[in-house]
Amino acid sequence: MKSFEGDFYKLAGLLKKREPFAFNRFSDGELCILRNREIIVDAQQVKWGEKATKGLYKEEDFKRFDPKEHSFHRDRLVDAFKFRAKNYFKGLSCRCCVGEEDFRWQLEFHGEDDGNLTWANLLVNGNYPQFIREMYPLFNGYKTVVVCNDKASLSMFPFVIKDFRVGYNAMVNDYGLIERMRQWIVENNIEGHLFLFSASSFSKLAIHQLYEHCGNNTYIDIGTTLNPFMNMRLDRGYLKSFWLGAKNADINKICIW
Amino acid sequence: MIKIITGSSVPVGATVALVSLCNHLNARRHECRLFGPDHWHLDKCKSGGLADFRPEKGDVVLVHDIGLHSVSDLSDLKATIKERQGSRWRQILRKTVCGCFGSAKKPDDFQLVLTCQGDGRSSAQQSNISLFHKIHCLGHTQQISRKATLPVFVCPNLVDDLKPSESKPAKVAGVVGTIRRENRLELSIRRAFEEGMETVILYGYLADPIYYYNDIRPLAEQYPGKVKFAGFVDDKQKLYDSVSDVYCSAIKPWSTVKLESKLTHTHFHGPDSPQEEPMTNDRILAVWINALGLQQKKDAAALP
Repeated sequence: MKSFEGDFYKLAGLLKKREPFAFNRFSDGELCILRNREIIVDAQQVKWGEKATKGLYKEEDFKRFDPKEHSFHRDRLVDAFKFRAKNYFKGLSCRCCVGEEDFRWQLEFHGEDDGNLTWANLLVNGNYPQFIREMYPLFNGYKTVVVCNDKASLSMFPFVIKDFRVGYNAMVNDYGLIERMRQWIVENNIEGHLFLFSASSFSKLAIHQLYEHCGNNTYIDIGTTLNPFMNMRLDRGYLKSFWLGAKNADINKICIW
Repeated sequence: MIKIITGSSVPVGATVALVSLCNHLNARRHECRLFGPDHWHLDKCKSGGLADFRPEKGDVVLVHDIGLHSVSDLSDLKATIKERQGSRWRQILRKTVCGCFGSAKKPDDFQLVLTCQGDGRSSAQQSNISLFHKIHCLGHTQQISRKATLPVFVCPNLVDDLKPSESKPAKVAGVVGTIRRENRLELSIRRAFEEGMETVILYGYLADPIYYYNDIRPLAEQYPGKVKFAGFVDDKQKLYDSVSDVYCSAIKPWSTVKLESKLTHTHFHGPDSPQEEPMTNDRILAVWINALGLQQKKDAAALP
């Protein structure tokens, strides 16, 4: 039986033991791409498949996925989603957040659960306080590499030894960075390091390919969790609730499987 | 068995002290286990969750930060703590009702000891003091209920076996302590920079993120690139090795930070407070062993 809190402490335990692993998250945006639906997030609109609303996001979140134009990148996302390896954990969108139909589709598309499927929201919502208070301090024990937006500041982190930057629509425009990172890892014999990714859908492709080729490091998709330390916006409900005390149910939400 | 129960087992000073006590007692072959509601303590010492706790005949039960009004409160500690976290009026009502009608009889089968960590006031105020056989205080200055006529024993918390740092960075300040308003970390950060520090690293459990966001984060913007956040770090030796100076702003005579700074040759900057004469860990443990009525064990192996 999967447990939202139990899976969080499983990853925290691996970090404490310095046992390499990868935590890759496939949230609603990736679900849309996996389903081969168009995405446009820009100043004017947010379009996910057939649904379109007014643009709410800021520049660092802008992205565009065209099923015809970006089929190569979608295929790489499918590779990341279907990849199986020891300690390669995949976070899926949960039924309480995306609904029963999309949740079921993911499970069928993935195939048999090898025990490494977990929640995409594992580090947020009801687990976010523990993430900041208990998992974040463990990063101090690692030589840490951060992959993030070129607008982000990393000066609050005492543990960062190197950073790689991405820009707009990184999954497409920065795809070549994965190979440069792989070369850097091989040439510098990088082992036992921690890689933190806050680079939207680019993170998913990079985490898969780097873990497959350089599995002696740990790779975690941290999403927006460390925005308050990176001079980035607190535009997610769980962030506003935790850091600003805003009323929002997400911070107490225990996602279900 | 010695069973320590605490209302919070997140990594703040009191929990760290209770973990250390538990480990030292076990190392001296006095069986001890720490029970708490959170996860942090579980891999730090012989431990369990609150649901695992059962007082048994002959036990010594050491209580921290749990509002006990009768012995029956021990039968479901989760519910007791939840009740304490409820509305203040409900707590007052409960305390009053328990005071009038509840049994304040001490347990016969086991010994109940209240440990007052921090300034001690909250521990003593939350509970019905007459339930306890003894009270532990960290120092003679600690304030406890005037109604307490129970035996009190005094000893500070144990101090980790820290060594002088082999090499230290220059002008790197550690602001050490739980991140909450009463610790006045913003003053420590300002003072560190005013005194020429080039980097400040915050080491402490993030108890109050809203305080951090409103009061600490603006300082990080004021001193760009110079304030870093580490959070609570288990390994104190690594903590002290990473800084040249330590800054504290809250007056806490019971805090071990000043002593730890001395052991690691780290410059300590903090308010003058009435420090009592430090005790060695052996003396502190001798006080505990005597107060809890335990037998000294001569061949204790692997002392921490």
